[in-house]
Amino acid sequence: MAEITENRGPNAVHADAHAHGPGRYFVVWILLLIFTGTTVITGRMDLGDFNIVLALVIASVKAALVVLFFMHMTEAAGTNRLIFVVSVIFTIVMMTGVFGDLLTRNPMTLPTGNPPVQIQAE
Amino acid sequence: MSSSDGHAANAHLAHHFDTIERQDYAVRLGMWLFLATEVLLFAGLFLGYTVYRHFYHEAFHEASRHLDLWAGATNTVVLITSSLSVALAYWAIKQDKQKLCAGLLVFTIACALVFLAIKAIEYHHKFEEGALPGAWYHYSEVTAPGANLYYTIYFLSTGLHAIHVIVGMSILIWVLARVLKGHFSSTYFVPVELGGLYWHLVDLVWIFLFPLLYLI
Repeated sequence: MAEITENRGPNAVHADAHAHGPGRYFVVWILLLIFTGTTVITGRMDLGDFNIVLALVIASVKAALVVLFFMHMTEAAGTNRLIFVVSVIFTIVMMTGVFGDLLTRNPMTLPTGNPPVQIQAE
Repeated sequence: MSSSDGHAANAHLAHHFDTIERQDYAVRLGMWLFLATEVLLFAGLFLGYTVYRHFYHEAFHEASRHLDLWAGATNTVVLITSSLSVALAYWAIKQDKQKLCAGLLVFTIACALVFLAIKAIEYHHKFEEGALPGAWYHYSEVTAPGANLYYTIYFLSTGLHAIHVIVGMSILIWVLARVLKGHFSSTYFVPVELGGLYWHLVDLVWIFLFPLLYLI
């Protein structure tokens, strides 16, 4: 046991890494397959704007399963969790900033370049 | 407790680290930092996708219907399954099951090859149809403004992802070679762990690329 302990990080949370068997990986795999099936079936249905919301929610749940269990985020050191979470937060900040700009622009300045007359006609 | 004793006891301990615990901590920290930069790299491409999808909603919707859904879905299953096998390989090496670990790594590498083969067939169809990025676009079935941008983003994002598949596969081949040489065991398995982490990131990116490009 001393040898195994040697390989553990200095964080107590990492000590649980050796406690579980391979069963949980199969459970995660089956869940990922079910979510993939769900997203394929619902993706081609006509649900309007709900399509993209549902697809992104399913993708986020799948990503969370991979990060938490396959990548062992549940057992990772606090610093490593912080780094990964910060990268996700930065992504959200970038998306929010860009869309905050695009959605509040004068339509004439958009790449689609709709002239004002056309905007009024809609 | 002197550092020279620790280095004599463990051949894997680099001279600039006092203990193997500190080395493992630093190595994992470096890997997660790298993974964070990878997330932000792909986030830029996803941003480009969402911005142009916002402007050319109809064209993107129509163009996405001209991708092969079953090729994309099959590749999703292939990558998810390879993520399972690489996670199991990590578990196996921690149990000192070197042969099982090697077998699972071979399976993972085979999955990577299947993924690339399906992707190559898809690319070949797009090349024949003329659904190409940028100035090379001459696809007659989708001519709406913005369809060109869709295929540019499609090739850029799946191309960058395919490069990651090739890199990940190469790393796993290197890890496999070292497993076969008996370099890893329950006392030293960090390279298997980090190679696996990179492979899971490849899976993670595809989990978002698949619905965005093929489904919505």
